[in-house]
Amino acid sequence: MTTLLRAGLAAALLHITPTVVLVDRPDAVAQLLPGADKFFAREVHLSDADAHKLHEAVDWSPPDGVLTFYSGRRGAGGALVGVLEFVRVDTPHGPLEVTVAFDTTGAVRGVIVTKATVETKPWVQEALRAGLVTRYRGLKPSDSPAAAAALRGAVGELPLYMAREVDKGVARALAAYRLFYQTR
Amino acid sequence: MLYDLSRADVRVKWLVTCLLLTFGLAYGFGGWMVALYAGFSPKSVAATYASSEMSMPMPPESTVVVEHPMTMSQFAEVAPHQVDTALLVQDTHVHVPMYGLIAACLAVVVLGLRMSRRTGLALVSLLFAAPWLDFLGMWLTKFLAAGFAWLTILGGWAMAAGLMIVTVAALWQMWLMKERTAT
Repeated sequence: MTTLLRAGLAAALLHITPTVVLVDRPDAVAQLLPGADKFFAREVHLSDADAHKLHEAVDWSPPDGVLTFYSGRRGAGGALVGVLEFVRVDTPHGPLEVTVAFDTTGAVRGVIVTKATVETKPWVQEALRAGLVTRYRGLKPSDSPAAAAALRGAVGELPLYMAREVDKGVARALAAYRLFYQTR
Repeated sequence: MLYDLSRADVRVKWLVTCLLLTFGLAYGFGGWMVALYAGFSPKSVAATYASSEMSMPMPPESTVVVEHPMTMSQFAEVAPHQVDTALLVQDTHVHVPMYGLIAACLAVVVLGLRMSRRTGLALVSLLFAAPWLDFLGMWLTKFLAAGFAWLTILGGWAMAAGLMIVTVAALWQMWLMKERTAT
């Protein structure tokens, strides 16, 4: 009886998935927008039609229907360094935050997983050690990320699962950038 | 009283004691986690659960773009831990059944305590009502008004109170109450 009750309690506790910061946002911004000294946040409040378009593209709606793009600029002329997005991916094991940066040509400059959860952190870290995020570099907004597939056999099942979730975050960032940044 | 914990076999008393202490430990860490991720004030709970949709309840007819400058230090501002609708659905799905099982376990302990039928009914009601209030507060905060955060705080404290009352009463009656008063 006690074993049963303890197992039940343990199951409940295992579902508590507090978020942990893997990389602070300012550190991620400094790495992904190097040299930028001015920053701007562009909030895109999606209409129903545009929200539907994004949902059709990547089966996702941003929180509160708002996409935020952060651009970094440099020097007196305000030359564009790049643009980044923080994308949240909800998994059954808690949320991930994937930060995706684009260079001035619109290609992916870099990806950093900025948040995970207590439970998923070791799986995410194993996927990162296997080189997950380096595989996103250079992707164009019309590409489909498939970095997770390249890790098959190199990592365990759970890190592979998390890699797929990171793929999902990158795909959302690419679609959002393609549909609502490049064209506006 | 359906059975009498104060007269139960010592193994049953020990089982109940271990169960209550385990729940106490879990609730202690639960409180710690709430402090870390949602806080205990109505303002912080509302920041966790209320939708910013409240300020813009309907999507605009056409997409609106707003751009504003920001500083590097603003990236560092700690965003409140937010639970959106999808996550609240998942939390409710996962936590409510478990809260129900915990309430049921505590209610079974209540059935073995010496107390009036009315007190027993009130205590069992408290054990089940507390998690309902907790999650009702979260949903109402999200979809009706941030002021309902009070309900979540009340539910959380009611859960703690229910556990505390059952634990103190059970430990007292099982281990400290003298036999002559127990009979």
